[in-house]
Amino acid sequence: MPHKIMLVEDDLPILEMMEILLRRIGYEPILVPDVLDALRQIKAEQPSLILLDIMMTPMNGWEFLEKLRGEYGMRDIPVLLFTASPSVEEKIAGLNDPKLGVLQKPVSIIELKAGIEKFLGK
Amino acid sequence: MADNVIRVLQHTMPKTDFVRLCVITSLAVCCTLITALSFSRSIDFISYQLFFIPIIYAAYFYPKRGLLVAFICGVAYQAVGYYYRYPDYGALIAVTSEAILFIVIASLIAYFIEKIRFGETRYRSVFEHSQLGIALFSSADFTIRQTNSRFLAMLDYTTEEIIGMTFSSLCLTPMEKERFLEKISKTKATENFEIRLGTKSGAGCWVNLSWNTIDETTISCTAVNINDRKIAEKLNNDNMMKYSQLTENSPTGILIIQDGAIQFSNPSFSVFSGYSNNELAGKTLDEFVDSCDRNEFIEFAKHWSENKHIHGDIEIRFVTKTGRMRFGALTANSIFHLEKPATLVNIVDISEKQRLSDKIREDNVRRRGIIITVAHELRTPLQPILGYLNLLISDPQGFGIVEETKKILERCLTSVDRERQIINQMLDLSVLESGKLQLSYSTFPLESLVKSVLDTSGYLSKAEVTIDIPESVTLTADKDRIYSVIDSLLLNAVNYSKPPRKIKIFYCSETDDTQDHISVQDNGIGIEKSVFLSIFEPFQLADAAKLSRRYDRIGLSLSIAKKVVQMHSGDITVTSTVNIGSTFTIHLPREMQNAS
Repeated sequence: MPHKIMLVEDDLPILEMMEILLRRIGYEPILVPDVLDALRQIKAEQPSLILLDIMMTPMNGWEFLEKLRGEYGMRDIPVLLFTASPSVEEKIAGLNDPKLGVLQKPVSIIELKAGIEKFLGK
Repeated sequence: MADNVIRVLQHTMPKTDFVRLCVITSLAVCCTLITALSFSRSIDFISYQLFFIPIIYAAYFYPKRGLLVAFICGVAYQAVGYYYRYPDYGALIAVTSEAILFIVIASLIAYFIEKIRFGETRYRSVFEHSQLGIALFSSADFTIRQTNSRFLAMLDYTTEEIIGMTFSSLCLTPMEKERFLEKISKTKATENFEIRLGTKSGAGCWVNLSWNTIDETTISCTAVNINDRKIAEKLNNDNMMKYSQLTENSPTGILIIQDGAIQFSNPSFSVFSGYSNNELAGKTLDEFVDSCDRNEFIEFAKHWSENKHIHGDIEIRFVTKTGRMRFGALTANSIFHLEKPATLVNIVDISEKQRLSDKIREDNVRRRGIIITVAHELRTPLQPILGYLNLLISDPQGFGIVEETKKILERCLTSVDRERQIINQMLDLSVLESGKLQLSYSTFPLESLVKSVLDTSGYLSKAEVTIDIPESVTLTADKDRIYSVIDSLLLNAVNYSKPPRKIKIFYCSETDDTQDHISVQDNGIGIEKSVFLSIFEPFQLADAAKLSRRYDRIGLSLSIAKKVVQMHSGDITVTSTVNIGSTFTIHLPREMQNAS
């Protein structure tokens, strides 16, 4: 049974491409273009890892993360911030969350694989 | 014989005296002869009074010799009288008493003449030796009759030249002449009338005149030379004028502060503060300082009473009368004002400078915001391209891709990588330029750092690299940043040379050197001297055309490298010979390293 990876991303071309890429490297993608849907589905889907875009509306990635870790109590799900914004690393260094990582867009297939495997193992 | 006597007499006395002597002698002889004749003929109406003519004459001109003449005349008269009247005793007594009368009269005349002469000499001496210039002139037409030497010296004339001139013609200008005539027509006695007279050469000479009428026709006038004083006064006035013009027109606000209170303020400060001179006078300067800066200002002003010459400068916010905030750069100097210590404060209005620098700061923040947004927007569409290219290349057979197509796709991938790198560099540079980057210092061995760059970058497969760094050399710097600097220099060396590439990395500092020098030398195309500086400048459009021909793929890595080293208080320099190669040298100060 492949790991489920939830991709929260409002950019459709990226979403479509990532679906193929994730499948190619052996994961089962759950595509969520609407960040509010992601919160609704998260309990039911129970993904092994979340790939999270930051610049989204009506709720950005940071707010989603706060809700997930706080209100939803899901502290163990690894989250990879999947973003084109610079200086995210400085910000997450201050959060002290061991299950939190960054993938800087554009990410190559090797970097993506390595980033996910860091949390899920090979 | 007589001729000889005359010659000798002429020789020993002035001409007038000689003439007078002759007159007296001949008169005395005549009187004696006439008296003798009258006695012999008994003509009584010719009396002894005749003798008074030579006696008075002699006593008037020569008071003492006059007595001698009176004595001789008395003897002659008595001799004649005794000869003709003897033995008439009554007549003889009369003759004797008349002869005595000669001497008494002569004595009286001599006494008074002496007295008059003495007074006149005294006055003449005073007149001649006076420190004042004195001129006597006619009260009718102001013709000069007499002047003393001091007056002549003042105006550089001789006595002959000045006698006969009118006093009014001595005035330097027609206007002064008019002023003099007006004054003298109004009052016959005046004191301290200052006027400019003309010297013989036409120069002006300031004098202080006082005049008084001596008699109906003569005015005596004293003149004091006040030329030096006037010149000094004029200079002083000129200086005062200059200073006041300077302070009145100075664009700098100028204040004189004494015992804490404003004693003087110039118009510039009134414009700056909005308060008039009167409103400022007597106030303390800190009343006008914004409350945020007041403590700092009071601390600064504390040192004013210490008698140091310059008290440095400070930038202070002032509140104007209308409540607006203005920035002033303030300099204070110790001076003396009205013979008491005071402080001279200069205030330069830097509100505009402050506004501009605030604007530049805001612009920088905005620019950084724009760069971050642009980076985000540029990176996002790269993601599908990169992803799909990865996908196709990872499984060529699955997608039915032939070898040639795969190569093309790989080139596309290289370009995407380059674009990604450029965006990253752009962001790096904006962080460096914002000055927000914090270096994290550590001490590490240089040689192993260089080796790790070479191992991970793959330069060893492209060039023959030699390292000449003593094992013991350590740097204290931001290791990751220095790593990227060395990486940039090596990449640069590889990019701008053709095989067989030879790259040398060497350390060259003396033990007592204040800096560490790390050089990267290549055998590449070299750099023209004219662009030595431009290669470190990001996005230099002016030089872009010049640079683009040879150094088309410079990117931003050198700019970033230089900025990073400069943040370490060091620098990167380059020496190069076209077609022989270039040497880039990193200079890092050791002191800075020690301090940290």
